[in-house]
Amino acid sequence: MTISAPRYGSTSSERLGRTRRVLAIVRRELRRRAGWGTVAAVALAFVSVAAVVIVDAEFASLTRTLRLTTLEAPFESPIWPLLLLLVATSAGAGALAEDAGNRSIVLYLSRPIRLLDYVGAKAIACGTWILIAAAGPPLTAVLILTLLGVVPTSIAVSAALGYLAVGLLATIFLTGVALSLSSLTSRPLYAGVGIFGVVLSLFIGAAAVAAITGNLYVPYASPVTLLRSVGIGVFGGPSTPETDPATSAAVLAIAGAVLGAFAAWRASRVEVVSE
Amino acid sequence: MSEELFRVEAVTKRFGPVEAISNLSVALRPGTIGLVGPNGAGKTTLIRMLMGLLAPDSGALSVLGFDAAREPLRVRERVGYMPEHDCLMPDLTGIGFVAYMGQVSGLPREVAMSRAHDVLEFVGLAEQRYRRIGEYSVGMRQRVKLAQAIVHDPELCFLDEPTSGLDPHGREEMLNLLRSLSKLGHRSFVLSTHLLPDTERLCDQMLLLDSGRKLAAGSVSDLLSGHNSETVVRVKGDAAPFLAALSSKGLEPRWEEGEVRVTLRDGETRPVFEAAVESGVELRHLGRSTATIEELFLARVREEGTRRAP
Repeated sequence: MTISAPRYGSTSSERLGRTRRVLAIVRRELRRRAGWGTVAAVALAFVSVAAVVIVDAEFASLTRTLRLTTLEAPFESPIWPLLLLLVATSAGAGALAEDAGNRSIVLYLSRPIRLLDYVGAKAIACGTWILIAAAGPPLTAVLILTLLGVVPTSIAVSAALGYLAVGLLATIFLTGVALSLSSLTSRPLYAGVGIFGVVLSLFIGAAAVAAITGNLYVPYASPVTLLRSVGIGVFGGPSTPETDPATSAAVLAIAGAVLGAFAAWRASRVEVVSE
Repeated sequence: MSEELFRVEAVTKRFGPVEAISNLSVALRPGTIGLVGPNGAGKTTLIRMLMGLLAPDSGALSVLGFDAAREPLRVRERVGYMPEHDCLMPDLTGIGFVAYMGQVSGLPREVAMSRAHDVLEFVGLAEQRYRRIGEYSVGMRQRVKLAQAIVHDPELCFLDEPTSGLDPHGREEMLNLLRSLSKLGHRSFVLSTHLLPDTERLCDQMLLLDSGRKLAAGSVSDLLSGHNSETVVRVKGDAAPFLAALSSKGLEPRWEEGEVRVTLRDGETRPVFEAAVESGVELRHLGRSTATIEELFLARVREEGTRRAP
């Protein structure tokens, strides 16, 4: 091996601020999370959700006047939330678990960034993929319907805002779930099983318990039901939400924030300089 | 660069009932510093505090002129850290990884990439820079860890057991790398290691810790020469009568590994020559014993134990 002092080709001592450092992490994470699983889940969401919205609107336009409620289609079945769950599982399972597994988290935290910068960058990257899957397909569908002249512009704008609002709420909640479960293990597979398993179990379990007991509060334990209720609430029917939309939105937002804070707390337990 | 590399003033850090650092005060100038002590000595806690990752319970630490507790990001902009354990991103290439770490340290993308090439060439990974880190050998991984620690040209670099896990050849290469880096002069190193010979070879200053207390701090040469006042004598012939002759002069000689070790009164060598003549041996060597860091450390631990004994 030749020993010679490093001659820095670039002697610039310019240092970028924290925001740019965080963006560097976000850029890498966006690429890193773009595995075949994430891309496939997002593609599936685009195809299925956009198709449902377009076909539903086309049929509705043939038989009756098209209103905002017509565009509620994605929330009429649990398919949309479950597709988002697939994206969250694929994009979020390794968010913190991979760094914990190969211990590269130590390198991040020894750099001039704060812990919240690191966790925030992970959340932004994971959340971006979830948001693309949550809001992208219905927004694309609305754009196509507007261009085809099926949906009036005023309804299209309202629907777009509605999809974006529900999509953001889904993103906050599912990102919180993904990061918190990813922070509990150093194995992305375990985190993935946890994310998918917990949300799916709550959905199935709450539905079963509610059917048996008839308790009106049990559906609040199911994130899938809560997301559908918010969507139906935002679009004003015609389906009847199982839970109160406003309360559901509050539960999802608070749960997402609490789970995100939990993930940050877990990351803060990492000893950068270990014994 | 600041006149002082770091200054620790009356710092105490407790973890529950355990006092990891106990009223520690030390100031060291830029250079290569060995941080030496057994497990639980407080080395890790001190490094954490110096990097602004942990706040002291009392006292103050300044690193490169910045308050480590109040301005941790300013400190970490100027320091590099090479962890002991594996912490690399196996999916990235060597060049991608080092450039990425440069960006997270605040370097613009082009500058980070340019410097990544420079440092990878320096650590001897120029030809392997486009290979994925997951395919690197242990020695190559150590080198890429060093590269990421210096890519942003830090003023101070913390190296945690840099020769850990390396075979003798790899260890020698790493020590040579570190020596050539330290000779550049504008960058300081704090080397935390259990391998005391590494400290002896690389460091010009050291800080000896035990149970969170300072045993010694300062220039390695001053500490080692000030520690030992023994004289080493090698003789040709039967050493037994020579030892007896030295004893008869009121000295306390020891026979150790083929050498006679004796503490002379006021450095007076005359009794040695007289004893040699009396015992009929030929003197082959007479000189000051050179202590090792290990000997210094053990002596200071014994002294500290005696001082603290009730």
